[in-house]
Amino acid sequence: MMTGYHSLGYSLLQALLLLLVAPLIAGIIKKLKALLQNRIGSSILQEYFDLYKWWRKPTFVTPYTSCIFLAAPCVYFASTVAAACMLPNFIGRTVSLGDVFVFVYVMALGRFLMTLSSLDAATAFGGMGGSREIYVAAFVEPVIMLAILSNVLHTGSTFLGGMSLDPGEVNLTVAGVLTCIAFFLVLLAENSRIPVDNPDTHLELTMIHECMTLEYSGRLLALIHWASQLKLLIFLLLFSLLYLPLNIPVVFKVLGSAVLVAVVETLNNKMRLFKVRVYLAAAGIMLLLAIAAQ
Amino acid sequence: MLQVQPENLRGAANIFSAAGKNPLAAMFGADETLRGGGLAIYCLFYNAEKRDMDILKAEFSADGDLSYPSLTPILPAAAWYERELHDMFGFIPREHPDLRPLVLHETFPEDFHPLLKKYPVDYQVRGSRKYEMLTSAGEGLYEVPVGPIHAGIIEPGHFRFSQAGEAMLQLDAKLFYTHRGIEKAVEGKTPFEALPLVERICGACSVANTLSFCQAVEKLSEADVPRKAWLIRTLAAEMERLYNHVGDTGNVCAGVGFSPVISMGSRLKEYLMQLNEMLAGNRFLRGLIVPGGVNCDVDENCLEEIDEVLRELEKEYRDIVHIMWEQNNFVNRIRTTGIIRQNTAFELAMVGVGARASGSVRDSRKDIGFGIYDELDFAVVTETAGDVEARIKVRVGEVYESIKLIKQLISKLRKEPEGSLCVDLGMLRTLEGSWGISESARGDNLHWLMLDEEGRIDRLFVRSASYPNWPALTLAVQGDIIPDFPLINKSFELCYACLDR
Repeated sequence: MMTGYHSLGYSLLQALLLLLVAPLIAGIIKKLKALLQNRIGSSILQEYFDLYKWWRKPTFVTPYTSCIFLAAPCVYFASTVAAACMLPNFIGRTVSLGDVFVFVYVMALGRFLMTLSSLDAATAFGGMGGSREIYVAAFVEPVIMLAILSNVLHTGSTFLGGMSLDPGEVNLTVAGVLTCIAFFLVLLAENSRIPVDNPDTHLELTMIHECMTLEYSGRLLALIHWASQLKLLIFLLLFSLLYLPLNIPVVFKVLGSAVLVAVVETLNNKMRLFKVRVYLAAAGIMLLLAIAAQ
Repeated sequence: MLQVQPENLRGAANIFSAAGKNPLAAMFGADETLRGGGLAIYCLFYNAEKRDMDILKAEFSADGDLSYPSLTPILPAAAWYERELHDMFGFIPREHPDLRPLVLHETFPEDFHPLLKKYPVDYQVRGSRKYEMLTSAGEGLYEVPVGPIHAGIIEPGHFRFSQAGEAMLQLDAKLFYTHRGIEKAVEGKTPFEALPLVERICGACSVANTLSFCQAVEKLSEADVPRKAWLIRTLAAEMERLYNHVGDTGNVCAGVGFSPVISMGSRLKEYLMQLNEMLAGNRFLRGLIVPGGVNCDVDENCLEEIDEVLRELEKEYRDIVHIMWEQNNFVNRIRTTGIIRQNTAFELAMVGVGARASGSVRDSRKDIGFGIYDELDFAVVTETAGDVEARIKVRVGEVYESIKLIKQLISKLRKEPEGSLCVDLGMLRTLEGSWGISESARGDNLHWLMLDEEGRIDRLFVRSASYPNWPALTLAVQGDIIPDFPLINKSFELCYACLDR
């Protein structure tokens, strides 16, 4: 067992590593989607270029906003980085900082502030995006809790480190597989992917997550995008560490699930906004069955 | 043509429309003061039985009262035309339910009517007037303004949604942002001088606009357009419909983020655009059709290439359509979304895909039978549901019909003996109104032309297919939710440039 300081050091190191890799994963998914659609697509490094571009650009803030508008991207970024620290150490594996409930609500804090900031500039799109984000979140959060509960029942621990599958373990029980599928559905919803939201659209009226960021520019926008990419990577990692019943190294698991995201996004179109609850209810029911099976 | 007193216009229009059997095709004004006349309003009604237009004219004295009883209360299709008459000529349709400005936005002065002859074409104005959007107020209601500048690369248009949560209660569209005054700019030009401008009214229906214009010119001449020229013109018209419909089939999927189909659609469209370039030297088929015939011949190589590419394209297109109908999630999005009922389509005198998806059988290729369409075998594709799905189905059906037509045209062109492609029209009859119609991918484009004593254009009126269909879009969205708007909008695929003529 490592000491607390060591553990903290490893966790921070891990968060930094994830932060650096996150745009690459997002870039890989984009590139794959382009290839699957018969397009050449942009470079897998494009997300880095974009972040660099936004970082150099001036940040415009309308005079009608409050401090929340400035604080939200920072809190969103910070909370996502904090969540990245809490992931099971895949360097040291056994230890992680956070309890899983803390993890979920640290993530929720970022979302809460982003939703507030979407109302702050009082534009019609922002309000629309905020309301839709909350509508989706209201269904996503209980489902994530169920997914965790299912895992807790399986592993008997509420610490993320203790919850992850052992390296050699292949959990091919009914409960394990159902949980795995359900968590993937939630992953898509939580990270604004098709079929719930479309990360690549320019149509403001259909957006959910992107709608909230329309008023942002420059470094604040870069922070939001970077945090979103990190969030996607965190969920892919969780999916790989906690749920994916495959006996291969974590890196390949993450890459594999990134490919899966790209394929699912290509094969599907966005569903009707009011059908999202049916989609998430399906994930919820799967999890209830999984829990009952244990 | 029947000429009536302004006070009797409504009554006469009521008779001409034959209780709605003959829909209003167009309504426009003309300033005939330079030839000693006054101002005039023309109304054109389709007459399917005679396969012709019924023309109604009301003449006003130039310095007298320009008010007349509005047609809109009995013919809702006249609403936009009368707003435009009010803007462009200063006519005052009494009892018009909504006489807000249409074409002239708030940067124009109040009493400026650009199509009056007293304003030269380079006249400069600056002023301000009121332009109100339709709004709503009440507990829980809010408005969403969208545009005129959009995130995608499209033309400008401002949409104002009145919302109750996600549900759209009302939509008002402010269009005509980039009105170019082409109708004014061609005045005083000969038809041949005006041709390049007419071809550029719209990119997606260059052929249809040129064809309508050329027919209007040719009706003023004694000469007959050679048959071979008509074969080539029809080939171009169908190629234009084909590339539009194929591209639009893919594009409608952008409304739901169904990206593989979007890129498949644009790939197929690109093949067709390259065929266009081979056929006419221009991807939009510009410069091919001229008054009197066509500019260049189509050789055997080109026919062979078209034949080959279309065979391949039809196969791939069937694949795309198959993918679309196999995708339950996609069908779920398009079914019952954006419904236009049959009587709405009928009352608004809608044209083209929008009308045919709502149970109308109107197609100027059959109804008027211009050119050589009567010799060709094709069906008018119709659907009755009036939703996004129906519009996609009509478009898909028309793609197959167009391919069928092009194959017939190719075999006819191969059999056609060498001959002249263009006839000299000679002296054109002046001071006589004439109209030309052709079916673009979006519906029929109608042109009205009158020449002055010197054979120069006195009045050109262009009513493209999008004009009667835009008001329908604002009705189609009611009752749907706002994230479905892009999908509904794309299913109509209406054109901004066609309004900004």
